[in-house]
Amino acid sequence: MRRSFIRYPLVFIAPAFVIYLVFFIVPNIAGMYYSFTDLSTYSDKVTFIGFDNFARLIREGFLVTAIRNTFIYAVCVTVFVNILGMSLALLLNEAPVLGNVYRTAFFTPYVIAPLIVGYLFTAIYQPEVGILNRALRSVGMGALAADWLNDPQIALFSIIMTELWRSSGFAMVIYLAGLKTIPRDLLDQASVDGAGYMTRFRRITFPLLAPSFTVTVLLMLINSLKVFETVLVLTNGGPGWVTEVFNTFIYRNFARGNWGYATSASLTLSIVIAVVAVVFLRLLRRREVEV
Amino acid sequence: MKVRRFTARRLVIELILFLLVLVVAIPFYMIVIDSFKNQREAAQFGLGFPTVVQISNYVDVLQSGGILVGYMNSVIVAGFSLALVSMCAALAAFSIQRNGTRLTNAIYYIFVVGLVIPVAIVPTIRLMMSLHVHNTYVGMILFYSAVLLPFAVFLLTGYLKTLPRELDESAGLDGCRPIHVFWAIILPLMQPALVTACLLTIMTIWNDFLGPFYLLSDSSKWTVTVTVFAYIGKFNTNWGSVFADITIVILPILILYFLLQRYIVEGMTAGALKG
Repeated sequence: MRRSFIRYPLVFIAPAFVIYLVFFIVPNIAGMYYSFTDLSTYSDKVTFIGFDNFARLIREGFLVTAIRNTFIYAVCVTVFVNILGMSLALLLNEAPVLGNVYRTAFFTPYVIAPLIVGYLFTAIYQPEVGILNRALRSVGMGALAADWLNDPQIALFSIIMTELWRSSGFAMVIYLAGLKTIPRDLLDQASVDGAGYMTRFRRITFPLLAPSFTVTVLLMLINSLKVFETVLVLTNGGPGWVTEVFNTFIYRNFARGNWGYATSASLTLSIVIAVVAVVFLRLLRRREVEV
Repeated sequence: MKVRRFTARRLVIELILFLLVLVVAIPFYMIVIDSFKNQREAAQFGLGFPTVVQISNYVDVLQSGGILVGYMNSVIVAGFSLALVSMCAALAAFSIQRNGTRLTNAIYYIFVVGLVIPVAIVPTIRLMMSLHVHNTYVGMILFYSAVLLPFAVFLLTGYLKTLPRELDESAGLDGCRPIHVFWAIILPLMQPALVTACLLTIMTIWNDFLGPFYLLSDSSKWTVTVTVFAYIGKFNTNWGSVFADITIVILPILILYFLLQRYIVEGMTAGALKG
Protein backbone atom coordinates (compact mmCIF):
# COMPACT_ATOMS: atom_id res chain seq x y z
CA MET A 1 0.00 0.00 0.00
CA ARG A 2 1.09 3.44 -0.84
CA ARG A 3 0.71 6.15 1.74
CA SER A 4 -1.97 8.69 1.03
CA PHE A 5 -0.80 12.22 0.44
CA ILE A 6 -4.27 13.67 0.40
CA ARG A 7 -4.88 16.31 3.03
CA TYR A 8 -8.25 17.27 4.40
CA PRO A 9 -7.96 20.96 5.31
CA LEU A 10 -9.74 22.10 8.43
CA VAL A 11 -10.67 25.30 6.64
CA PHE A 12 -13.39 23.28 4.84
CA ILE A 13 -15.28 23.25 8.11
CA ALA A 14 -15.08 27.03 8.49
CA PRO A 15 -18.05 28.27 6.41
CA ALA A 16 -20.52 25.91 8.08
CA PHE A 17 -19.07 26.47 11.52
CA VAL A 18 -19.03 30.26 11.28
CA ILE A 19 -22.68 30.47 10.19
CA TYR A 20 -23.71 28.04 12.89
CA LEU A 21 -21.61 29.79 15.52
CA VAL A 22 -22.85 33.30 14.76
CA PHE A 23 -26.54 32.54 14.21
CA PHE A 24 -27.12 29.67 16.60
CA ILE A 25 -24.47 29.33 19.32
CA VAL A 26 -23.95 33.06 19.94
CA PRO A 27 -27.71 33.78 20.36
CA ASN A 28 -27.98 30.85 22.74
CA ILE A 29 -25.12 32.13 24.85
CA ALA A 30 -26.49 35.69 24.70
CA GLY A 31 -29.80 34.23 25.88
CA MET A 32 -28.11 33.13 29.09
CA TYR A 33 -27.18 36.74 29.72
CA TYR A 34 -30.57 38.23 28.73
CA SER A 35 -32.27 35.82 31.12
CA PHE A 36 -30.76 37.78 33.97
CA THR A 37 -31.84 41.18 32.65
CA ASP A 38 -35.04 43.21 32.45
CA LEU A 39 -34.78 43.52 28.65
CA SER A 40 -38.12 44.70 27.26
CA THR A 41 -39.63 46.51 24.32
CA TYR A 42 -40.56 49.42 26.59
CA SER A 43 -37.10 50.76 27.31
CA ASP A 44 -33.72 50.77 25.64
CA LYS A 45 -31.94 50.35 28.93
CA VAL A 46 -30.95 46.80 29.89
CA THR A 47 -30.34 46.23 33.58
CA PHE A 48 -28.86 43.17 35.18
CA ILE A 49 -31.40 41.91 37.73
CA GLY A 50 -29.88 38.61 38.88
CA PHE A 51 -32.29 35.76 39.46
CA ASP A 52 -35.40 38.00 39.56
CA ASN A 53 -36.84 36.52 36.34
CA PHE A 54 -36.47 32.98 37.61
CA ALA A 55 -37.91 33.89 41.01
CA ARG A 56 -40.87 35.44 39.19
CA LEU A 57 -41.32 32.34 37.03
CA ILE A 58 -41.70 30.25 40.15
CA ARG A 59 -43.71 32.84 42.11
CA GLU A 60 -46.32 33.38 39.39
CA GLY A 61 -46.87 29.65 39.16
CA PHE A 62 -47.05 29.61 35.38
CA LEU A 63 -43.75 27.82 35.10
CA VAL A 64 -45.04 24.95 37.23
CA THR A 65 -48.22 24.74 35.12
CA ALA A 66 -46.27 24.90 31.88
CA ILE A 67 -43.76 22.28 33.02
CA ARG A 68 -46.51 19.95 34.20
CA ASN A 69 -48.55 20.25 30.99
CA THR A 70 -45.50 20.01 28.74
CA PHE A 71 -44.34 16.86 30.52
CA ILE A 72 -47.79 15.20 30.47
CA TYR A 73 -47.96 15.99 26.78
CA ALA A 74 -44.42 14.80 26.02
CA VAL A 75 -44.69 11.55 27.97
CA CYS A 76 -48.11 10.61 26.54
CA VAL A 77 -47.07 11.48 22.98
CA THR A 78 -43.79 9.54 23.28
CA VAL A 79 -45.44 6.44 24.76
CA PHE A 80 -48.38 6.27 22.36
CA VAL A 81 -46.50 7.29 19.23
CA ASN A 82 -44.08 4.45 19.93
CA ILE A 83 -46.85 1.94 20.55
CA LEU A 84 -48.77 3.01 17.45
CA GLY A 85 -45.68 3.33 15.27
CA MET A 86 -44.39 -0.08 16.27
CA SER A 87 -47.82 -1.66 15.74
CA LEU A 88 -48.11 -0.13 12.28
CA ALA A 89 -44.61 -1.34 11.39
CA LEU A 90 -45.40 -4.87 12.58
CA LEU A 91 -48.65 -4.89 10.58
CA LEU A 92 -46.85 -3.68 7.45
CA ASN A 93 -44.13 -6.25 8.03
CA GLU A 94 -46.74 -8.93 7.38
CA ALA A 95 -46.52 -7.95 3.69
CA PRO A 96 -50.11 -6.79 3.15
CA VAL A 97 -51.35 -6.50 -0.43
CA LEU A 98 -51.13 -2.69 -0.55
CA GLY A 99 -48.06 -2.40 1.68
CA ASN A 100 -46.44 0.53 -0.10
CA VAL A 101 -49.68 2.47 -0.37
CA TYR A 102 -50.26 2.06 3.36
CA ARG A 103 -46.74 3.11 4.20
CA THR A 104 -46.99 6.21 2.02
CA ALA A 105 -50.36 7.12 3.51
CA PHE A 106 -49.36 6.72 7.17
CA PHE A 107 -46.34 8.99 6.74
CA THR A 108 -48.25 11.74 4.90
CA PRO A 109 -49.45 13.69 7.98
CA TYR A 110 -45.83 14.11 9.03
CA VAL A 111 -44.91 16.15 5.94
CA ILE A 112 -47.62 18.77 6.58
CA ALA A 113 -46.90 21.86 8.68
CA PRO A 114 -47.96 21.33 12.34
CA LEU A 115 -49.73 24.70 12.12
CA ILE A 116 -51.99 23.35 9.37
CA VAL A 117 -52.59 20.10 11.24
CA GLY A 118 -53.76 22.32 14.11
CA TYR A 119 -56.33 24.09 11.91
CA LEU A 120 -57.44 20.77 10.45
CA PHE A 121 -58.16 19.38 13.91
CA THR A 122 -59.93 22.56 14.97
CA ALA A 123 -62.45 21.57 12.29
CA ILE A 124 -62.42 17.86 13.18
CA TYR A 125 -63.01 18.56 16.90
CA GLN A 126 -65.88 20.98 16.27
CA PRO A 127 -68.52 19.83 18.82
CA GLU A 128 -71.74 19.89 16.75
CA VAL A 129 -70.74 19.04 13.20
CA GLY A 130 -67.05 18.06 13.43
CA ILE A 131 -66.37 14.70 11.82
CA LEU A 132 -65.05 13.11 15.02
CA ASN A 133 -68.28 13.58 16.97
CA ARG A 134 -70.38 12.69 13.93
CA ALA A 135 -68.38 9.49 13.42
CA LEU A 136 -68.82 8.57 17.09
CA ARG A 137 -72.58 9.18 16.92
CA SER A 138 -72.95 7.21 13.71
CA VAL A 139 -71.39 4.09 15.22
CA GLY A 140 -73.56 4.34 18.34
CA MET A 141 -70.89 5.79 20.61
CA GLY A 142 -72.52 9.21 20.83
CA ALA A 143 -71.95 9.14 24.59
CA LEU A 144 -68.24 9.64 23.88
CA ALA A 145 -68.83 12.73 21.77
CA ALA A 146 -67.41 15.75 23.56
CA ASP A 147 -66.46 19.39 23.29
CA TRP A 148 -62.89 18.30 22.69
CA LEU A 149 -61.14 21.65 22.96
CA ASN A 150 -63.26 23.56 25.45
CA ASP A 151 -63.69 20.91 28.12
CA PRO A 152 -60.81 21.46 30.58
CA GLN A 153 -60.81 17.76 31.46
CA ILE A 154 -59.90 16.61 27.97
CA ALA A 155 -58.41 19.59 26.08
CA LEU A 156 -54.81 18.45 26.64
CA PHE A 157 -55.77 14.92 25.66
CA SER A 158 -57.23 16.24 22.39
CA ILE A 159 -53.95 17.99 21.58
CA ILE A 160 -52.10 14.75 22.32
CA MET A 161 -54.41 12.84 19.94
CA THR A 162 -53.64 15.39 17.22
CA GLU A 163 -49.94 14.72 17.59
CA LEU A 164 -50.52 10.94 17.50
CA TRP A 165 -52.27 11.38 14.16
CA ARG A 166 -49.35 13.43 12.89
CA SER A 167 -46.31 11.54 14.18
CA SER A 168 -47.19 7.84 14.35
CA GLY A 169 -46.19 7.40 10.71
CA PHE A 170 -42.76 8.82 11.47
CA ALA A 171 -42.19 6.27 14.24
CA MET A 172 -43.49 3.62 11.86
CA VAL A 173 -40.81 4.23 9.21
CA ILE A 174 -38.04 4.12 11.80
CA TYR A 175 -39.37 0.81 13.16
CA LEU A 176 -39.75 -0.55 9.62
CA ALA A 177 -36.08 0.23 8.99
CA GLY A 178 -35.25 -1.57 12.24
CA LEU A 179 -37.35 -4.60 11.31
CA LYS A 180 -35.46 -4.95 8.04
CA THR A 181 -32.23 -5.57 9.96
CA ILE A 182 -33.66 -8.59 11.80
CA PRO A 183 -32.56 -11.78 10.02
CA ARG A 184 -35.47 -13.86 8.70
CA ASP A 185 -33.64 -17.10 9.58
CA LEU A 186 -33.66 -16.22 13.25
CA LEU A 187 -37.44 -15.83 13.29
CA ASP A 188 -37.99 -18.90 11.11
CA GLN A 189 -35.75 -21.00 13.33
CA ALA A 190 -37.59 -19.84 16.46
CA SER A 191 -40.84 -20.66 14.72
CA VAL A 192 -39.59 -24.18 13.91
CA ASP A 193 -38.60 -24.55 17.55
CA GLY A 194 -42.21 -23.93 18.46
CA ALA A 195 -42.12 -20.27 19.54
CA GLY A 196 -45.46 -18.52 19.02
CA TYR A 197 -45.86 -14.99 17.65
CA MET A 198 -45.82 -13.31 21.06
CA THR A 199 -42.77 -15.26 22.22
CA ARG A 200 -40.90 -14.39 19.04
CA PHE A 201 -41.84 -10.74 19.49
CA ARG A 202 -40.77 -10.64 23.14
CA ARG A 203 -37.56 -12.62 22.76
CA ILE A 204 -36.33 -11.62 19.31
CA THR A 205 -38.10 -8.77 17.55
CA PHE A 206 -38.47 -6.32 20.43
CA PRO A 207 -34.90 -6.66 21.78
CA LEU A 208 -33.46 -6.31 18.28
CA LEU A 209 -35.53 -3.17 17.72
CA ALA A 210 -33.64 -1.47 20.57
CA PRO A 211 -31.79 1.03 18.31
CA SER A 212 -35.04 2.12 16.63
CA PHE A 213 -36.65 2.36 20.06
CA THR A 214 -33.85 4.61 21.36
CA VAL A 215 -34.07 6.93 18.37
CA THR A 216 -37.84 7.23 18.35
CA VAL A 217 -38.17 7.78 22.09
CA LEU A 218 -35.44 10.39 22.07
CA LEU A 219 -36.69 12.29 19.02
CA MET A 220 -40.31 12.25 20.19
CA LEU A 221 -39.37 13.46 23.67
CA ILE A 222 -37.20 16.31 22.38
CA ASN A 223 -39.72 17.39 19.74
CA SER A 224 -42.75 17.23 21.99
CA LEU A 225 -41.06 19.33 24.67
CA LYS A 226 -40.79 21.98 21.93
CA VAL A 227 -44.50 21.76 20.98
CA PHE A 228 -45.95 25.11 19.92
CA GLU A 229 -48.09 25.47 16.79
CA THR A 230 -50.72 22.84 17.49
CA VAL A 231 -51.34 24.20 20.99
CA LEU A 232 -51.37 27.80 19.77
CA VAL A 233 -53.99 27.03 17.14
CA LEU A 234 -56.13 24.47 18.96
CA THR A 235 -56.49 26.04 22.41
CA ASN A 236 -53.90 28.82 22.80
CA GLY A 237 -53.17 27.44 26.24
CA GLY A 238 -56.81 27.48 27.34
CA PRO A 239 -59.39 26.88 28.62
CA GLY A 240 -57.94 28.72 31.60
CA TRP A 241 -54.33 27.55 31.61
CA VAL A 242 -54.95 23.81 31.37
CA THR A 243 -53.08 23.40 28.10
CA GLU A 244 -50.42 26.07 28.64
CA VAL A 245 -47.03 24.69 27.56
CA PHE A 246 -43.53 26.18 27.59
CA ASN A 247 -43.70 27.67 24.14
CA THR A 248 -47.15 29.26 24.47
CA PHE A 249 -46.02 30.78 27.77
CA ILE A 250 -42.86 32.12 26.10
CA TYR A 251 -44.90 33.55 23.23
CA ARG A 252 -47.38 35.27 25.58
CA ASN A 253 -44.59 37.08 27.38
CA PHE A 254 -42.74 37.84 24.16
CA ALA A 255 -45.90 39.44 22.75
CA ARG A 256 -46.32 41.51 25.92
CA GLY A 257 -42.80 42.85 25.42
CA ASN A 258 -41.26 41.12 28.45
CA TRP A 259 -38.28 39.88 26.45
CA GLY A 260 -35.94 39.22 29.37
CA TYR A 261 -38.61 37.28 31.19
CA ALA A 262 -39.51 35.30 28.03
CA THR A 263 -35.84 34.50 27.49
CA SER A 264 -35.47 33.15 31.01
CA ALA A 265 -38.40 30.78 30.33
CA SER A 266 -36.78 29.86 27.03
CA LEU A 267 -33.46 29.11 28.77
CA THR A 268 -35.30 26.94 31.28
CA LEU A 269 -36.80 24.97 28.39
CA SER A 270 -33.36 24.51 26.78
CA ILE A 271 -31.94 23.21 30.05
CA VAL A 272 -34.88 20.82 30.52
CA ILE A 273 -34.46 19.48 26.99
CA ALA A 274 -30.69 19.07 27.36
CA VAL A 275 -31.08 17.19 30.65
CA VAL A 276 -33.84 14.94 29.30
CA ALA A 277 -31.82 14.19 26.14
CA VAL A 278 -28.64 13.27 28.02
CA VAL A 279 -30.39 11.20 30.69
CA PHE A 280 -32.49 9.23 28.20
CA LEU A 281 -29.63 8.67 25.79
CA ARG A 282 -27.60 7.14 28.64
CA LEU A 283 -30.49 4.99 29.87
CA LEU A 284 -31.53 3.72 26.46
CA ARG A 285 -28.01 3.11 25.15
CA ARG A 286 -27.23 1.00 28.22
CA ARG A 287 -30.30 -1.09 27.51
CA GLU A 288 -29.10 -1.63 23.92
CA VAL A 289 -25.72 -2.95 25.08
CA GLU A 290 -27.29 -5.37 27.51
CA VAL A 291 -29.54 -7.16 25.00
CA MET B 1 -40.53 -19.59 -1.09
CA LYS B 2 -43.64 -19.64 0.95
CA VAL B 3 -46.90 -19.20 -0.85
CA ARG B 4 -48.91 -16.25 0.42
CA ARG B 5 -51.93 -17.78 2.09
CA PHE B 6 -55.16 -15.90 2.56
CA THR B 7 -56.04 -16.97 6.05
CA ALA B 8 -58.42 -15.29 8.45
CA ARG B 9 -55.42 -13.65 10.13
CA ARG B 10 -54.35 -12.03 6.87
CA LEU B 11 -57.84 -10.76 6.30
CA VAL B 12 -57.96 -9.14 9.73
CA ILE B 13 -54.61 -7.42 9.13
CA GLU B 14 -55.77 -6.07 5.77
CA LEU B 15 -58.99 -4.83 7.33
CA ILE B 16 -57.26 -3.06 10.24
CA LEU B 17 -54.82 -1.37 7.88
CA PHE B 18 -57.59 -0.28 5.56
CA LEU B 19 -59.53 1.30 8.43
CA LEU B 20 -56.40 3.06 9.69
CA VAL B 21 -55.71 4.47 6.24
CA LEU B 22 -59.20 5.97 6.30
CA VAL B 23 -58.30 7.77 9.55
CA VAL B 24 -55.42 9.43 7.71
CA ALA B 25 -57.16 9.95 4.37
CA ILE B 26 -60.56 11.31 5.42
CA PRO B 27 -59.24 14.58 6.93
CA PHE B 28 -57.32 15.28 3.71
CA TYR B 29 -60.37 14.44 1.66
CA MET B 30 -62.41 16.79 3.84
CA ILE B 31 -59.99 19.68 3.22
CA VAL B 32 -60.20 19.31 -0.53
CA ILE B 33 -63.92 18.62 -0.90
CA ASP B 34 -64.99 21.41 1.49
CA SER B 35 -62.75 23.93 -0.25
CA PHE B 36 -65.22 23.83 -3.19
CA LYS B 37 -68.28 24.54 -1.03
CA ASN B 38 -69.94 27.83 -0.15
CA GLN B 39 -69.58 29.30 3.33
CA ARG B 40 -72.74 27.77 4.81
CA GLU B 41 -72.14 24.31 3.40
CA ALA B 42 -68.43 24.24 4.28
CA ALA B 43 -69.22 25.05 7.92
CA GLN B 44 -71.10 21.75 8.11
CA PHE B 45 -67.84 19.85 7.43
CA GLY B 46 -69.79 17.33 5.38
CA LEU B 47 -68.02 14.66 3.39
CA GLY B 48 -70.53 14.71 0.53
CA PHE B 49 -69.94 16.44 -2.77
CA PRO B 50 -70.76 20.15 -2.86
CA THR B 51 -74.28 20.91 -4.11
CA VAL B 52 -72.71 23.48 -6.40
CA VAL B 53 -69.00 23.12 -7.17
CA GLN B 54 -67.59 26.59 -6.88
CA ILE B 55 -64.06 27.87 -7.11
CA SER B 56 -64.81 31.26 -5.57
CA ASN B 57 -62.93 30.26 -2.41
CA TYR B 58 -59.75 29.87 -4.44
CA VAL B 59 -60.37 33.17 -6.19
CA ASP B 60 -60.84 34.87 -2.80
CA VAL B 61 -57.66 33.36 -1.40
CA LEU B 62 -55.59 34.35 -4.39
CA GLN B 63 -57.08 37.84 -4.49
CA SER B 64 -56.27 38.46 -0.84
CA GLY B 65 -52.69 38.42 -2.10
CA GLY B 66 -50.79 37.19 0.93
CA ILE B 67 -50.40 33.67 -0.31
CA LEU B 68 -48.64 34.58 -3.57
CA VAL B 69 -46.15 36.76 -1.70
CA GLY B 70 -45.73 33.90 0.77
CA TYR B 71 -45.05 31.44 -2.03
CA MET B 72 -42.42 33.71 -3.51
CA ASN B 73 -40.76 34.39 -0.13
CA SER B 74 -40.66 30.69 0.72
CA VAL B 75 -39.11 29.83 -2.63
CA ILE B 76 -36.46 32.55 -2.31
CA VAL B 77 -35.54 31.72 1.28
CA ALA B 78 -35.63 27.94 0.72
CA GLY B 79 -33.64 28.17 -2.52
CA PHE B 80 -30.74 30.15 -1.12
CA SER B 81 -30.69 28.28 2.20
CA LEU B 82 -30.63 25.03 0.27
CA ALA B 83 -27.56 26.03 -1.72
CA LEU B 84 -25.77 27.40 1.32
CA VAL B 85 -26.60 24.49 3.62
CA SER B 86 -25.72 21.73 1.17
CA MET B 87 -22.40 23.22 0.05
CA CYS B 88 -21.21 24.22 3.52
CA ALA B 89 -22.37 20.98 5.11
CA ALA B 90 -20.79 18.78 2.43
CA LEU B 91 -17.43 20.53 2.78
CA ALA B 92 -17.56 20.41 6.57
CA ALA B 93 -18.66 16.77 6.70
CA PHE B 94 -15.84 15.81 4.31
CA SER B 95 -13.18 17.37 6.53
CA ILE B 96 -14.78 16.21 9.80
CA GLN B 97 -15.18 12.59 8.74
CA ARG B 98 -11.86 12.20 6.90
CA ASN B 99 -9.75 13.88 9.58
CA GLY B 100 -11.41 12.13 12.50
CA THR B 101 -9.15 13.85 15.01
CA ARG B 102 -10.10 14.91 18.50
CA LEU B 103 -10.62 18.48 17.28
CA THR B 104 -12.93 17.56 14.40
CA ASN B 105 -14.89 15.18 16.61
CA ALA B 106 -15.38 18.01 19.09
CA ILE B 107 -16.64 20.23 16.29
CA TYR B 108 -18.99 17.45 15.20
CA TYR B 109 -20.47 17.25 18.69
CA ILE B 110 -20.89 21.03 18.81
CA PHE B 111 -23.00 20.65 15.67
CA VAL B 112 -24.99 17.80 17.27
CA VAL B 113 -25.96 20.14 20.13
CA GLY B 114 -27.89 22.15 17.54
CA LEU B 115 -30.07 19.10 16.81
CA VAL B 116 -31.36 19.14 20.36
CA ILE B 117 -31.39 22.69 21.73
CA PRO B 118 -34.17 25.03 20.56
CA VAL B 119 -33.50 28.38 18.88
CA ALA B 120 -32.94 31.39 21.17
CA ILE B 121 -35.50 33.78 19.69
CA VAL B 122 -34.99 37.09 21.47
CA PRO B 123 -31.18 37.14 21.15
CA THR B 124 -31.51 36.16 17.46
CA ILE B 125 -33.77 39.18 16.86
CA ARG B 126 -31.32 41.46 18.66
CA LEU B 127 -28.41 40.00 16.69
CA MET B 128 -30.22 40.48 13.38
CA MET B 129 -31.04 44.09 14.29
CA SER B 130 -27.45 44.87 15.15
CA LEU B 131 -26.22 43.23 11.92
CA HIS B 132 -28.94 45.12 9.98
CA VAL B 133 -30.39 41.92 8.53
CA HIS B 134 -33.64 41.98 10.56
CA ASN B 135 -36.69 41.62 8.27
CA THR B 136 -34.50 40.77 5.27
CA TYR B 137 -34.12 37.68 3.11
CA VAL B 138 -30.43 37.55 4.00
CA GLY B 139 -31.31 37.37 7.68
CA MET B 140 -33.80 34.57 7.21
CA ILE B 141 -31.44 32.61 4.95
CA LEU B 142 -28.63 32.82 7.51
CA PHE B 143 -31.02 31.92 10.32
CA TYR B 144 -32.30 28.82 8.52
CA SER B 145 -28.81 27.83 7.46
CA ALA B 146 -27.65 27.91 11.07
CA VAL B 147 -30.68 25.90 12.21
CA LEU B 148 -30.47 23.29 9.43
CA LEU B 149 -26.69 22.86 9.17
CA PRO B 150 -26.48 20.51 12.19
CA PHE B 151 -28.78 17.95 10.61
CA ALA B 152 -27.10 18.21 7.20
CA VAL B 153 -23.63 17.83 8.71
CA PHE B 154 -24.87 14.90 10.78
CA LEU B 155 -26.49 13.18 7.79
CA LEU B 156 -23.58 13.73 5.40
CA THR B 157 -20.91 12.73 7.93
CA GLY B 158 -22.79 9.48 8.46
CA TYR B 159 -23.03 8.92 4.72
CA LEU B 160 -19.31 9.61 4.16
CA LYS B 161 -18.45 6.70 6.46
CA THR B 162 -19.85 4.43 3.75
CA LEU B 163 -17.47 5.90 1.14
CA PRO B 164 -14.01 4.31 1.65
CA ARG B 165 -10.94 6.52 1.77
CA GLU B 166 -9.41 4.61 -1.14
CA LEU B 167 -11.86 6.44 -3.36
CA ASP B 168 -10.17 9.74 -2.54
CA GLU B 169 -7.01 8.40 -4.15
CA SER B 170 -8.73 6.50 -6.92
CA ALA B 171 -8.24 9.03 -9.67
CA GLY B 172 -4.49 9.12 -9.14
CA LEU B 173 -4.78 12.62 -7.86
CA ASP B 174 -1.98 12.30 -5.30
CA GLY B 175 -0.67 15.68 -4.36
CA CYS B 176 -3.47 17.46 -6.09
CA ARG B 177 -5.51 20.10 -4.35
CA PRO B 178 -7.97 18.82 -1.72
CA ILE B 179 -10.78 20.96 -3.09
CA HIS B 180 -10.37 19.13 -6.39
CA VAL B 181 -10.68 15.72 -4.73
CA PHE B 182 -13.82 16.97 -3.02
CA TRP B 183 -15.32 18.46 -6.15
CA ALA B 184 -14.42 15.71 -8.63
CA ILE B 185 -14.82 12.57 -6.54
CA ILE B 186 -16.62 13.02 -3.25
CA LEU B 187 -19.38 15.46 -4.14
CA PRO B 188 -20.79 13.33 -6.99
CA LEU B 189 -20.72 10.23 -4.76
CA MET B 190 -22.57 12.05 -1.99
CA GLN B 191 -25.47 12.80 -4.30
CA PRO B 192 -28.13 10.55 -2.67
CA ALA B 193 -27.50 11.99 0.79
CA LEU B 194 -27.34 15.51 -0.64
CA VAL B 195 -30.72 15.08 -2.31
CA THR B 196 -32.16 14.00 1.03
CA ALA B 197 -30.59 16.94 2.86
CA CYS B 198 -31.97 19.34 0.25
CA LEU B 199 -35.46 17.89 0.37
CA LEU B 200 -35.56 18.09 4.16
CA THR B 201 -34.31 21.68 3.99
CA ILE B 202 -37.08 22.66 1.58
CA MET B 203 -39.77 20.91 3.61
CA THR B 204 -38.61 22.31 6.94
CA ILE B 205 -38.54 25.88 5.64
CA TRP B 206 -41.88 25.53 3.85
CA ASN B 207 -43.56 24.16 6.99
CA ASP B 208 -41.79 26.25 9.61
CA PHE B 209 -43.91 28.70 11.52
CA LEU B 210 -42.05 29.58 14.71
CA GLY B 211 -39.00 31.15 13.00
CA PRO B 212 -40.66 33.65 10.65
CA PHE B 213 -43.52 34.26 13.11
CA TYR B 214 -41.07 35.64 15.67
CA LEU B 215 -38.33 36.98 13.44
CA LEU B 216 -40.29 38.78 10.72
CA SER B 217 -42.38 41.75 11.74
CA ASP B 218 -42.58 42.87 8.09
CA SER B 219 -45.51 41.03 6.49
CA SER B 220 -44.08 41.45 2.98
CA LYS B 221 -41.32 38.95 3.90
CA TRP B 222 -43.59 36.31 5.49
CA THR B 223 -43.11 32.76 4.32
CA VAL B 224 -46.09 30.74 3.24
CA THR B 225 -47.01 29.08 6.56
CA VAL B 226 -47.15 32.44 8.35
CA THR B 227 -49.49 33.73 5.63
CA VAL B 228 -51.84 30.84 6.47
CA PHE B 229 -51.87 31.97 10.10
CA ALA B 230 -52.52 35.56 9.09
CA TYR B 231 -55.20 34.62 6.56
CA ILE B 232 -57.11 32.38 8.93
CA GLY B 233 -56.82 34.96 11.70
CA LYS B 234 -58.62 37.39 9.40
CA PHE B 235 -61.11 35.14 7.56
CA ASN B 236 -61.72 32.36 10.06
CA THR B 237 -65.49 32.60 9.63
CA ASN B 238 -65.36 31.04 6.18
CA TRP B 239 -64.10 27.46 6.38
CA GLY B 240 -64.46 27.07 2.62
CA SER B 241 -61.75 29.63 1.95
CA VAL B 242 -59.68 28.42 4.91
CA PHE B 243 -59.58 24.97 3.33
CA ALA B 244 -58.81 26.48 -0.09
CA ASP B 245 -55.88 28.35 1.46
CA ILE B 246 -54.64 25.17 3.15
CA THR B 247 -54.98 23.16 -0.07
CA ILE B 248 -52.84 25.62 -2.00
CA VAL B 249 -50.16 25.57 0.69
CA ILE B 250 -49.90 21.80 1.22
CA LEU B 251 -50.13 20.86 -2.47
CA PRO B 252 -46.45 21.42 -3.41
CA ILE B 253 -45.24 19.56 -0.32
CA LEU B 254 -47.53 16.62 -1.04
CA ILE B 255 -46.40 16.45 -4.67
CA LEU B 256 -42.76 16.58 -3.58
CA TYR B 257 -43.41 13.84 -1.04
CA PHE B 258 -45.29 11.53 -3.38
CA LEU B 259 -42.68 11.87 -6.13
CA LEU B 260 -39.54 11.65 -4.01
CA GLN B 261 -40.68 9.79 -0.89
CA ARG B 262 -37.90 7.22 -1.27
CA TYR B 263 -35.27 9.91 -0.59
CA ILE B 264 -37.27 11.59 2.13
CA VAL B 265 -38.24 8.51 4.13
CA GLU B 266 -34.98 6.62 3.70
CA GLY B 267 -32.99 9.75 4.44
CA MET B 268 -34.88 10.42 7.64
CA THR B 269 -34.54 6.86 8.88
CA ALA B 270 -30.89 6.47 7.85
CA GLY B 271 -30.01 9.75 9.51
CA ALA B 272 -31.92 8.84 12.63
CA LEU B 273 -30.55 5.33 13.04
CA LYS B 274 -26.94 6.25 12.52
CA GLY B 275 -27.07 8.60 15.49
